[in-house]
Amino acid sequence: MKQARTAASTRFHLVAVLMVAALVGTLAGLAVTAAEPVAGLVEPDAAVRYGLPVVRGLIDVAAVVTVGLCLLPILVGYDRPARAEPVLAGSRRFAAVSALVWAVCALVALVLQTAEVRPGVGVSAAAVGAYVGEVAAGKAMLFVAGLALVSFGLGLAAVRLGDRVPAELRTAVALFALLPLPVTGHATNFRWQDFTMVSLELHVLGAAAWTGGLAAIVVLLATNRTLLATALPRFSRLATVCLGVVAVTGVFNGLVELTATRSLFDVLFSTGYGVLVLCKLGCLGALAALGANIRWRLLPAIVGHRRTALLSWATAELAVMGLAIGFAVVLSRAPVA
Amino acid sequence: MRRLAVAFVVACLAVVGLATPAFAHNQLIASNPENEATVAQSPSVVELTFDQPVQKGEGLNSIAVTGPDDTTWSTGPAEVASNVVTATLDDLGPTGEYTIGYRILSADGHPVSGEVTFTLTTAGNGTPAPEEAETTDQSAGSSDDGGGLPIWVWILGAVVVLGAGLTVALRMGGKQS
Repeated sequence: MKQARTAASTRFHLVAVLMVAALVGTLAGLAVTAAEPVAGLVEPDAAVRYGLPVVRGLIDVAAVVTVGLCLLPILVGYDRPARAEPVLAGSRRFAAVSALVWAVCALVALVLQTAEVRPGVGVSAAAVGAYVGEVAAGKAMLFVAGLALVSFGLGLAAVRLGDRVPAELRTAVALFALLPLPVTGHATNFRWQDFTMVSLELHVLGAAAWTGGLAAIVVLLATNRTLLATALPRFSRLATVCLGVVAVTGVFNGLVELTATRSLFDVLFSTGYGVLVLCKLGCLGALAALGANIRWRLLPAIVGHRRTALLSWATAELAVMGLAIGFAVVLSRAPVA
Repeated sequence: MRRLAVAFVVACLAVVGLATPAFAHNQLIASNPENEATVAQSPSVVELTFDQPVQKGEGLNSIAVTGPDDTTWSTGPAEVASNVVTATLDDLGPTGEYTIGYRILSADGHPVSGEVTFTLTTAGNGTPAPEEAETTDQSAGSSDDGGGLPIWVWILGAVVVLGAGLTVALRMGGKQS
């Protein structure tokens, strides 16, 4: 019974690793793309200029963690209910918590975005309403907040009712809530509009399932060798698909954005946007290497219920994922040229 | 795995459903006066042309003209007609380099800002605007109902909501198994 006990000992500092890495990525990205203040115009407050990307980063991390925790029951499977239940009960509760963080951060981001478009004045509730009415990005953010709240409600219901609230439903709602924001980013230019849009959405879904799945597994299952031996091989297949999807869609979108106005190499090396794309490519390479290491070197031992250094490797992978999320936050807001 | 696949398919279908309005960041493609142009006479209108429509709305778009020695020159409110933003400009003063600063709201909801400079070769009769720039009252006037709250108040409120929610989520009794 020792295993069931240790199952409850979770490693939430790993979520902190993800969060800190995302923060570092965001701030580094902001430094790369820093713009000069424009002559004669009121600048948005520093609280808005730095607060908004940071909150966007928090939204992404909370979203990823929520998706991962909702995925966990599917990865663990349903064939060992007695052994899985203590872990899954914890995962449901924390899925509810992260969904709430997600929703609240989305509302804060909405206020900050309102402040950003009309710099120099306070933000009244009516101004937020007007912003939502006028600007598509506002509607999208409100939508995200609403869906995240639904996710929170489902999470609470799952805490109460256990797996009578299907994990597939919770996962689908959480994934759905990822979709509105990319629609209002600069996902496209006119040539490839529909393709880049779908490709960007797939990119976000893939990245969230991959990062979130890994985070949920190492946070909740790292010491539980029995469950790990079933969940990790499943996750490994999912991660391979996600890696492929993220790589293909990322490269496609990057190429379309970067070649929209000038030649590729010009933009790639001379603009902050290009540098960030290169950084994300670097992250992708590192993630592929780290993932391959887990897949080929650690997984056989894990399937054999042996002790491995999974925790350290997965922590490194989460840190790189966090960095990539941080870069993505800045990238989604930076002008291309 | 099959259930997972189903969840993914549902999500992907949702993508297709949502993917109608798609926008990109606007970029300035032309302006009048042109960037780095030399202008003999003080222009009466500033015109900025972007590659895509600009979001209309009071106080969302602003244009400011800054002259030599950081003087501010008064401009009318920014008018949006599809992808062209214009603002009337009062007579300028001394010769020298002027900067048109703009911040517009791109159709995708992101503010886009930048500068266009031009050089005036014949002095005009205008005088600089007083210190409070035109653009500030413009934006203050539009959303001024009840003054508006500073950002930290909103964030504080969010933290309170979060705290309450967390208490509920963490204290709620779980399933008896």
